[in-house]
Amino acid sequence: MRESTIMKIHYGTALAAVALVAVHILMRLTMGYAESLEYENVLANYKFVPYAIMLELILVLLAVHGFNGLRVILLELKQGRLYEKAVSYGCLVAMIGLIAYGSRTIIMTNMGMA
Amino acid sequence: MSKDEHREGIGGMINPRRYGIERVAYLLMRLSGLGLLAYFIGHIYETSNILRGQVGWNEFMEMISTTEGHIIMSIVIAMCVFHTVNGVRVMLGHGGVGVGKPTRPDYPYDPASQNYRHKIGIYSAMVLAAVAMMYGLAVMFGE
Repeated sequence: MRESTIMKIHYGTALAAVALVAVHILMRLTMGYAESLEYENVLANYKFVPYAIMLELILVLLAVHGFNGLRVILLELKQGRLYEKAVSYGCLVAMIGLIAYGSRTIIMTNMGMA
Repeated sequence: MSKDEHREGIGGMINPRRYGIERVAYLLMRLSGLGLLAYFIGHIYETSNILRGQVGWNEFMEMISTTEGHIIMSIVIAMCVFHTVNGVRVMLGHGGVGVGKPTRPDYPYDPASQNYRHKIGIYSAMVLAAVAMMYGLAVMFGE
């Protein structure tokens, strides 16, 4: 993929994540901070399907943005054909792994397996 | 620029004492990005404790609801706000907003893009990060 396209994805994921993370943080402030982190309240959040979808979107957006950011930083430090491929594929694998692990939590909790 | 300056490698690249506030913003943007990625990975692991049931969740919450935990969280808030505000500035700059009009390069060759608008953006990001950090501390320690 062209770097210009990757940067557009980087900026797009950033803007979308800012909006959704703001909602995610505001949910912590709808009641007391400590109260919002109680087991029952967190479980209720996961079981509310629109909120679970939002969490999944945040997970994907931040994983794509975060690991692409890491890739950019690592490519600024050193260059080379093999190194660049290793960094790009390494970040891609880590990103997929993190999305899979986070999705597992969201799906299992939403389906009442917690 | 001396020859020695070229030999400094990564140390020279990230040295915040040269090239003005833009270099400090560049460094803070990368540090906050790495910090936020580390926190994000930790947060995904942390929230997976809900699958351990109420006892497992409460145990983990007890472990992180400490003074140190709150201080780390407030640093994360500051990093998040700085990264967001400075990121918007960078995006606007890449889009050509606030970088000035192209002109003939004349002595003393001041870069038009490094103007007061972007400097204000950087300082605003720092101030807002500090304010958000203080607010976060007030919320977490206020309970």
